[in-house]
Amino acid sequence: MVKFTNPRWWVFSRIMAATLGGYALATSSSLFFSQLLLQSLGIYQALHIGMLLSFLIYACAAMWAFSTSTAKRAWLLLLQFNLVLITLSGLLMQVNP
Amino acid sequence: MKGDFRQSMKWLHTWVGLVVGWVLVFMFITGTSGYFKKEITRWMEPERPLASTHLDKGELLAMSQRYLAQHATDAKRWQIQLPNSRDGNLTLKWRKPPKKGERRGKRITKIINTDTGLATENIRATGGGSALYSLHYRLHYMPRIVAYWIVGFCTMLMLIAVITGVIFYKKIFSDFFTYRAKKGLIGWLDIHSVLSVIAIPFHFMITYSGLLFFLATYMALSFNLSLNSDQQGEYYDQVFPNNIVHEKSNVLGRLAPLSDMYIVSKQHWKKDTLTNVTVNFPMDSNSRVKFSRWETDITYNPEDQLVFAGVSGKIIEIPTRKVTVPGQINDGFISLHEGKFATPIVRGLYLFVGLLGAGMVASGLILWTTKRKPKQLKKTKGPDFGYRLVEQLNIGTIVGLPIAIALYFWANRLLPVGMENRAAWEINCLFISWAVLLIYPAFRPAITAWYEQLKISAFVFCFIPLLNFITTDKHLGITLPRSDWNLAGFDLTMLAIGLAFSFAAYKVKKHVIVKALKPNGDTYKTDENLAIAGFSSSTAKKESN
Amino acid sequence: MLLLSLSFITMTLFCLAMEKHRKLIIPLDIPLSVQACLRPLAWAMLIISFYLSIDLYGWSIGPVVFFGMLTGCLLPLILLLTFRPTIIPLLAVFQPVIFYISY
Repeated sequence: MVKFTNPRWWVFSRIMAATLGGYALATSSSLFFSQLLLQSLGIYQALHIGMLLSFLIYACAAMWAFSTSTAKRAWLLLLQFNLVLITLSGLLMQVNP
Repeated sequence: MKGDFRQSMKWLHTWVGLVVGWVLVFMFITGTSGYFKKEITRWMEPERPLASTHLDKGELLAMSQRYLAQHATDAKRWQIQLPNSRDGNLTLKWRKPPKKGERRGKRITKIINTDTGLATENIRATGGGSALYSLHYRLHYMPRIVAYWIVGFCTMLMLIAVITGVIFYKKIFSDFFTYRAKKGLIGWLDIHSVLSVIAIPFHFMITYSGLLFFLATYMALSFNLSLNSDQQGEYYDQVFPNNIVHEKSNVLGRLAPLSDMYIVSKQHWKKDTLTNVTVNFPMDSNSRVKFSRWETDITYNPEDQLVFAGVSGKIIEIPTRKVTVPGQINDGFISLHEGKFATPIVRGLYLFVGLLGAGMVASGLILWTTKRKPKQLKKTKGPDFGYRLVEQLNIGTIVGLPIAIALYFWANRLLPVGMENRAAWEINCLFISWAVLLIYPAFRPAITAWYEQLKISAFVFCFIPLLNFITTDKHLGITLPRSDWNLAGFDLTMLAIGLAFSFAAYKVKKHVIVKALKPNGDTYKTDENLAIAGFSSSTAKKESN
Repeated sequence: MLLLSLSFITMTLFCLAMEKHRKLIIPLDIPLSVQACLRPLAWAMLIISFYLSIDLYGWSIGPVVFFGMLTGCLLPLILLLTFRPTIIPLLAVFQPVIFYISY
């Protein structure tokens, strides 16, 4: 088993977290917003707003992934946020027509 | 990550800038040149006639109508571009009907010589300013989708760089006006900060709006998860609604004189800024003529278009497009990015901030090497590979890319007119010369490479007006007296850029000489330092006195 | 009219600049009461120029021109501050006049 003692591994891990986890967060948040606003605006506008916001959310997520105290924390919290948003979107999708 | 939130943001800012800095310089320079793509294309097709912005638009419309009625009777749509301050030529466009197996017909573009009413023949094949601009988002030598993802990746990293830059810079307000020149590292830090901070709204806007261009591509996952393919078509129609398409009646009709419609339009619009006229189904009784003027809004202003019934010449009321809020936000950002609405002064501002953006990234890259230089020079085996690579890429991109673009213009004048694939070869010249300029600094000491490339760029730019004089008949001697400011402006701008580079070269030379002769803590000895920079010590002593 | 906006904005920034320990611009002693007014005055000018921009160009192009002019004036101002600080008060006073005449 390779020992991840070299700090570069942790940087790499954070980069992965920021890139992949951030993209997942952007996608899940855009889905969430589109479901949230579905009733008031219709699917097309809601999705559009969700996508417009997703870039900013991605930037913030990526930045934040580099500010946590350890790389593990970055992964954990990103996964948590993602799961929460995906669950909420799923629930909303059931509720919405 | 680094113990302090600000410190982590600073680390991130540096690394993000370093990873994509050179691509960003490329994108800033090609993008800024894109604001002038029409002007550049006009210069690159010197066979075009001189500007005719002083002629009456009604007469020009009559001339166009005559030409099109003769040569383009089989087209579904005629497009007339009147001379304006950006493009002083009368341009007519239409599509031939599609041949068997083609989806759409071949596109024909004709530049009309307003003295004769005939089309200009034998314009040299060139990509023009549009090819240069398309490098900005399409890159080159790769499939479209790969380029879009690379460009999107770099833009997202730049967005992160902009936001982290604002977050971690503590002195953003206190050092707002500070520029400590001639103080080495601090001077570069100040330049970088100043260039970024004074144009923060622009930098944020241009980065975020850049990402919006390919919204559905970048957010493909959520787009495809939310909408099936029918809905996707509906999405585009709803969020980016098109004008109502009207039907052909298949009954022959005669088009009323466009110049009459022009007179009506002048009464309707207070300012005469008519730019384009589009005629749909010109030979039909159900033809429609759309007059468009210079955009007055970054989103949709229905007043910018006037539609006439082709046969009667009467104005038709077109119902306004239904717009949505997110659609307007999207449109607004995209039109801010493209700047198509910009009048000449605002366009000048775009040029200014575009160059500021390129300068911001470039100064950041230079700041990185300057900060690490003392430590790197002290290393026993010479500077690290990473440092050397960054320095080499800096020289090759910050000075090398402008040289490559100037050589693109040289190629336009020097490549034989009848050459096959001429347009492609002009761009190839750009990339070949850029490759050479990126690679050769590896074999020269850094300061020599900087100085050499600055000298080359000064020469290459300043020579363009002269090259124009030698190879064509649209040089400054002709264009200035005729007040053709597009063409003259191009030559003068090239001259100005060349002079700016020669000033930079002069400053670099002075800096080296001053540093060499000052006893300081550098590890280089005086004579060695000068020799590396390519000067002899006697010249240096003479220059410093 | 555009140029008038430009000059107003420039004046704003000059005022702001004076506040930030840039006694290089005016080497005289300024009474404290005047010093205290400079910053509010500068902010007022900024708001006025924003308003003018919107008034002249509408809500869509107005902000673009406003920010563009700000940036356009800031760079020369900063360069002047570094190399020729003493010209600045003269410029601030005379350039509206020059622009008005040339227009």
